[in-house]
Amino acid sequence: MTVGTEAPSPPATAPARRRVPVRRRLTRGAAPWVLLAPALILLAVLLLWPLVRVVMLSLQDYRLRNLIRGDSNYVGLENFTKVLTSDFLWSTVLPNTVGFAVVCVVLTMLVGIVVALFLNTLGRAWRSICTAAIMVAWAVPAITGTYVFVWLFDPLNGLVANTLDALGIMEAGSWNWFDDRWAFYAIATANVVYHGFPFIAVTVLAGLGTVPRELYEAAALDGAGAVTRFRSVTVPGIRPILAVCIILSTIWDFKVFTQIYLMPGGDGTNRSVMNLGVWSYSESFAQGLYGMGSAIAVLLTVLLLVISVVYMRTLMKEDEL
Amino acid sequence: MISRRGVLSAGAAGSAALGLAACSGGSGSSDPTDKDANGDKTITLWIMQGTNAKTDEYVDALTKAFEDRTGATLKVEVQPWDGAHDKFVTSMSGGTSPDVAEVGTTWVPEFADAGGIDPLTKDVDEAGIGDGLVQGLVDAGTLDDELYGMPWYAGVRSILADRKILEDAGVTEQPGSWDDLLEMIETIKSKNPDIIPFPIAGSSIFAGMPFVWGAGGDIAKESGGTWKATIDTPESVEGIRWYTDLALKHDASTAAASSWLETDSLAAFQQGKVAMFITGSWVPATIKVDDEELFDRLVAFTIPAKDKEVAPSFLGGSLLCRFTETEEPELAFELIKLMSTGDLATRWAKETNYFPGEQKALDAVVKDGDELTKVFAQQMTEGGTTVPVTPAWGQIEGKKTLSTLFSDVLKGTDPQKAADSAASEMDEIFKG
Repeated sequence: MTVGTEAPSPPATAPARRRVPVRRRLTRGAAPWVLLAPALILLAVLLLWPLVRVVMLSLQDYRLRNLIRGDSNYVGLENFTKVLTSDFLWSTVLPNTVGFAVVCVVLTMLVGIVVALFLNTLGRAWRSICTAAIMVAWAVPAITGTYVFVWLFDPLNGLVANTLDALGIMEAGSWNWFDDRWAFYAIATANVVYHGFPFIAVTVLAGLGTVPRELYEAAALDGAGAVTRFRSVTVPGIRPILAVCIILSTIWDFKVFTQIYLMPGGDGTNRSVMNLGVWSYSESFAQGLYGMGSAIAVLLTVLLLVISVVYMRTLMKEDEL
Repeated sequence: MISRRGVLSAGAAGSAALGLAACSGGSGSSDPTDKDANGDKTITLWIMQGTNAKTDEYVDALTKAFEDRTGATLKVEVQPWDGAHDKFVTSMSGGTSPDVAEVGTTWVPEFADAGGIDPLTKDVDEAGIGDGLVQGLVDAGTLDDELYGMPWYAGVRSILADRKILEDAGVTEQPGSWDDLLEMIETIKSKNPDIIPFPIAGSSIFAGMPFVWGAGGDIAKESGGTWKATIDTPESVEGIRWYTDLALKHDASTAAASSWLETDSLAAFQQGKVAMFITGSWVPATIKVDDEELFDRLVAFTIPAKDKEVAPSFLGGSLLCRFTETEEPELAFELIKLMSTGDLATRWAKETNYFPGEQKALDAVVKDGDELTKVFAQQMTEGGTTVPVTPAWGQIEGKKTLSTLFSDVLKGTDPQKAADSAASEMDEIFKG
């Protein structure tokens, strides 16, 4: 009976499906979009429109008077040609930005992972205490943290200079490391890594908890040492998390601004330490060349997009995407 | 005022007569002192934070005086200097600008050129308050023969020193030339090797410029409407070289100072590590709050030129500007008049330790002032000078062209070479 009644039903529903496809499909297709709409509209207003505006600005010679009068002044790709043909970009700004980001990402990831592994070996109480302690470093605003580093490294009165002085290595005030491109960036790196590693450590620590214990036991039984266990069990287990951490760190370290701008000479006075972020700010807000500043910002965005896509392709497997 | 009292005491019937009396004085259709018409009007004023420790009391007095005179309401908004430039810019473009605001002297040409603030020449002339203003401030606010801001207050930089350190070294005389200054520095250094005699702060351009000006050089010159950098002329370079050699050859400074701002020099001075340094006329008041003992030991000298006592020094300050967006230009100007002349102007200057923009008020402040005030006032009246009055200056300031010049030379770049690149950078900006 059941077979008898069910037998004709498939052909009955199938043509029915085919007969009203448009309406059904529309409602079915629309449902997710309707649900997504509030978020998408918000994103469009908050992110997409400013992005479009920046691109539009980057195609103009846009100054204070254009801003006040509300008119536009399109000049095509002039800003981009100026930036891309400038010696300053290739010899100073880009090497500073890229080199600094690479070093910072590598160091932040290394320190973050090592700290996470260390935290993972601790008991619950000590782990909470240590996690809280490093989160304090993370919670300090970039502006405050940078001032602390500037004070620590003050060439005349700073802790570092005076310690070196007491050890007889150098006389306090005899050398100004903020003037030197390499020393300047070494201090900035310490600052950025110090503020960046807690996030990585805590995220990786969370990831470590998801790797099944049995895998470690099995590996240990097979005679794998600590390094092999880390390479063959831990890394594959937390790969997606590592990938996200690397992408986020890269984006943060590429667009670093506060930590450079607030250091002595970092506001544009010392040209040899300028990076893309400070350059863009200096052109648009300090000098009122909003078009030029926007062009630099667009280049920075494109650079970050390219890097992110390359990362996604190489770090994540297809099915994880 | 007197005529109005006269009208009232004569018992003339209220507002009509008052209106008539007021009308006879004014030339325009809308009279700023017509109290009845102004009853529901509001004027917004922006002043900067931190200039006056007693801002609240001053604002109360100003609000009352303005309401007494015009009948309109005054709304004062105190703005922080940090980000003030951006705030002005966004308010001018967004149509939310105040009616009146104090604007830093170096921003006035930029805002005027962009069309954000009004020319005031006609109003100032009609009100008869155009004479006896401090010339340096008038120069700073004048673009294409139009005055865009009414001088409000000014400050200038001179040398401030710790008398005790100087007396220990036996040098307490005003230096009459560069040679005298160098001798002072060398004597202090030899008597007290641990002290920094005279820090050369690389990022403090207005500490360095008096030496460029004092050698007969300049930042840029205008001829026939176009500006050209003159920071690379032999005179200018001589000044840059002499000033930076104090650090590089004569050990007057410390390596740390090559990236110092003026505030860093002040901090080192307050710690007792510095004998004398170049700073603003408003600084002694700051020191007094922090350290009364040090304040009592302060002594000031004018910055010497190559072969005389007073070198030109940057005269900075604020002008009162009327914004083009205002709906009540007459009332707005009435407020400017009230603030920049008479008792309220003198009061502001006294409370802030700045110099008033009116010569008469300036004379009064100097007469009542202490020795320090007299030295700064001498520097201002004999040497007060300004940076190029062109909209391009905002961009040069933003690009840090001159700070880069001084700090590069302190890092070892040849002065002529550093000056050449600064000059070409400025010429590029002048071209637009």
